[in-house]
Amino acid sequence: MKRTGRRSWLLLLLMITVLAVAAAQCGTAPAALENPAPSQEETQSAETESELPPEAIATEAPADENIAEAVADSGLAKEFEKGITVVTEEPDVSAPRTKKGGEYRDVSTSDAVSFHPYTTSDSASFAYQGLVWSGALLRLHEKTLEYVPHMAESYTISEDGLTFTFKLRQGLKWSDGQPLTAQDYKWTYDQVIKPENEFPYLDQLEFITSYEALDDHTLEIKIKEVYAPALGQMSGLITPLPKHIWEKLDWTDPEKNSEINSPSVVSGSYKLVEWERDQFAVFEANENYWYHGAPNITRYNIEIVPDQDVAYQKMKTGESDTAPITPEQLDEARQLENVNIYEWWPVGARWEYLGLNMRQGFPSHDINVRHGLSYAIDKELLTDEVMLGQAKRLCSIYAETSWAYNPDVECYEYSTDKAIEAFAKAGYTFKDGQMLDKDGQPLKLKLIYGPNTSKVRELIAVTVQDFLKEIGVEVEIQALEWASFLDAIKAQEPDWDIFIGGRGSTPEPHTGSVWWSEENIPDLNSVAYINKDVERLFVEAAATYDLEVRKQKYGEIQQILAQDAPYIFLYYQKAWSGQNKRIQGIEPTILGIGWNSEDWYIEEAQQ
Amino acid sequence: MGRYIVRRSIQSFFLLWLATLISFTVYQLAPGGPIQFLDDDPRATSEDSNRLARLYGLDRPKLFPPAQYIAWLTGEDWLPKNETWRSGRCLSDESRCGRGILRLDFGRSFFYKGQPAIDPILERIPATLTLAVASLILGMVIGIPLGIVAALNRGRMPDHLIRVTTVLINTVPDWWLGLLLLIFLGGYLGLVPLSGMYDIGDGSLLDRLHHLILPALVAATGGWIGYSRILRFEMLEVLNQDYVRTARAKGLAERWVMIRHVLRNALMPFVTGFGGIFVLFLSGSVLFETVFSWPGMGRLFITAINSRDYPVMMAIFVIGSFFGIIGLLVVDILYSVVDPRVKYDVSR
Repeated sequence: MKRTGRRSWLLLLLMITVLAVAAAQCGTAPAALENPAPSQEETQSAETESELPPEAIATEAPADENIAEAVADSGLAKEFEKGITVVTEEPDVSAPRTKKGGEYRDVSTSDAVSFHPYTTSDSASFAYQGLVWSGALLRLHEKTLEYVPHMAESYTISEDGLTFTFKLRQGLKWSDGQPLTAQDYKWTYDQVIKPENEFPYLDQLEFITSYEALDDHTLEIKIKEVYAPALGQMSGLITPLPKHIWEKLDWTDPEKNSEINSPSVVSGSYKLVEWERDQFAVFEANENYWYHGAPNITRYNIEIVPDQDVAYQKMKTGESDTAPITPEQLDEARQLENVNIYEWWPVGARWEYLGLNMRQGFPSHDINVRHGLSYAIDKELLTDEVMLGQAKRLCSIYAETSWAYNPDVECYEYSTDKAIEAFAKAGYTFKDGQMLDKDGQPLKLKLIYGPNTSKVRELIAVTVQDFLKEIGVEVEIQALEWASFLDAIKAQEPDWDIFIGGRGSTPEPHTGSVWWSEENIPDLNSVAYINKDVERLFVEAAATYDLEVRKQKYGEIQQILAQDAPYIFLYYQKAWSGQNKRIQGIEPTILGIGWNSEDWYIEEAQQ
Repeated sequence: MGRYIVRRSIQSFFLLWLATLISFTVYQLAPGGPIQFLDDDPRATSEDSNRLARLYGLDRPKLFPPAQYIAWLTGEDWLPKNETWRSGRCLSDESRCGRGILRLDFGRSFFYKGQPAIDPILERIPATLTLAVASLILGMVIGIPLGIVAALNRGRMPDHLIRVTTVLINTVPDWWLGLLLLIFLGGYLGLVPLSGMYDIGDGSLLDRLHHLILPALVAATGGWIGYSRILRFEMLEVLNQDYVRTARAKGLAERWVMIRHVLRNALMPFVTGFGGIFVLFLSGSVLFETVFSWPGMGRLFITAINSRDYPVMMAIFVIGSFFGIIGLLVVDILYSVVDPRVKYDVSR
């Protein structure tokens, strides 16, 4: 018996030893991860701060009060001309960069899904892909905000405005030295449009009727009808994948196509060296990059960290060169000795709103209730409290940084008297501190928000609750995990009255049209807003290249939406970025800081 | 013994089947779905979402979908060629049909687009295993001596000190303790790295140990507190047994009495604890891995839940259940070997 007992202990000991050894052996070599510098297509306006390095201060980035003017004067607000050819002002892109060396250390709170640009839809993947893939035929000029030829050397718009011809630059190369041609674009487009290939945004390509490679350097794209956003949309529509590598492989299955998770041939400024999921990704400069060759900074590392606080700590201690900064951290970050903070008001502003349920049977179905709620909330105070001065009031769907912005809309300045008056029109009575409906029942509303971890949204919810309490409206708050929140707001029979939402916008005002169409209820149009005039105006605004007409239509849309108040518009946000001072060559412009990231450099002594 | 093993195996098999049924139903019923995240993306229209839902087979009813359960369990390839039984992917291309978990095919991940659900799990096992084994060893290395010291000094200062310390630490949630230590030791003092398993471009044994020490110490907290308290209790119990008195009476050296009679018997209950290690290996420690950015199964599980990646969620659950159930079975059998007083198959 004793012997059996001893053997059993030995067995246990052996098990533990084996497991420990296995664990030690199993650890694999490191790899790298994501979070590249902002892409060149990034569209932001910039404000410089006194802490910026000399070269940053010397830039022409407009101060925030001049943003609206700057945007209005820029190429963004420029009418398309039919029958024209635009040629690049930079025909020679062969001169190599001269300040090479060093390593950029980025951090990210989430890892990429894959390097496949046509099956992913998450921002972390887009960031990784932005480093290894390049394909923009045109780009927004950082100062004039005009679409200028980029990988194309010229583009031509036909007389009827329906055919766009792009001449590609000579000498475009893949990282393996093979030529990058119009055939790569065409082949990629052909794969993307196959429904079984799982491209999440296939509907976006609907406006194209034909996409042809006339020869190795000429692409001809035809569209159905005059469509104002066409040129901008086309410029970055297709990022070519290397036909000579990918055509023998499966399009979606990573088991049959190792290029999806480990691209060996790329077109971007960096090549992937190593990727260890949920840990890090390492990239190195692509010597065959088409735009002046390899970027200055030789290596680009992205490390995955658990949350924003750890990321921020890493930037503080110098372990990383950048990190996301929350509004609460911004003041402290501005004082850090090793970090420069760059701030700007983005042209494509991110804005927050309260969505009001407009379905029959809900109190906010009545326009007077919506007006009452809009008056009852002090948006100025809320913006200050929640965003600590890093945001501005918004009165309709376009921020003042958009060329389509109309200042002449109802803004519902805070007034409890007007709020009570509006409620009275809807048949409510304000009595003994309560808002009573026709049956004498106190009005109670349910407000939902998500994700439940968002401090900003929690603060908005509580502030709204306080304001509405003042006019006797009781608000029940429910915080939901993100997927549950999305499920709740798109429910066929929702049980909420108000939700807190956010929208990202682009310089092209037409992209906002999807939120207001009846056919997108309840997915994108969760409040169930129906106004055929708005839908018609969006269609008309996109169906002309005449900028004055477009401006006038978008102006009308903003007035109608402000009047109908399906949302209570709250604020739009400033953008900012913290970068270690050893990173030089950053030039903030109206597009932000990422537009010239390939020219950023690190002085030799600090490499 | 043979009959016992057969009976327990049948029970385990039934339990496992129940686990698959529960996981399938519960996960399917969770609000939202993998396509949900496109709803807030202006680049994707309702048409796009519907097309993808058809391809992935997510357009079918969520509440008790027997056809989907059967397909998940046994594979789509042999089922009728219609939308009730097969996903859009399988209908359009036979080679993309799932083969079912019975054939060890856990399907394709929604989040890791098109990748077999088992792949990300296999990638994460080493990290979880490392942390689990390290914390187990540390737990024993710290906990067992403390338990012995406390038991041998019963009622005296070392005993009080150990008991008060363990009670105090036990009242603090492990993950919170981890976060505090991370901020203090990593953020302020810079003694330990703030995240990850090793530094980019390094990965030497020293570097790995440097990254492992804090997560393992914190993950071991529950272990050493538990071990020290159980051991103290068991030793005090054994110390009063007749055979210990007899051993001492025989004139055996105190050291040998402790090692061969007291400690050996007091350690018996620890065997059951090893069953849990199987579950720990595969389910990972969700909180520790999240706090320390440790790239193991726990973090994968959180990612899968947040993205409603059903195949990965269910694969982790089923594999975790499998090893948990097998682990318990093995422990039961081992226990009978280690402890001669435990007998199975006693003929009645």
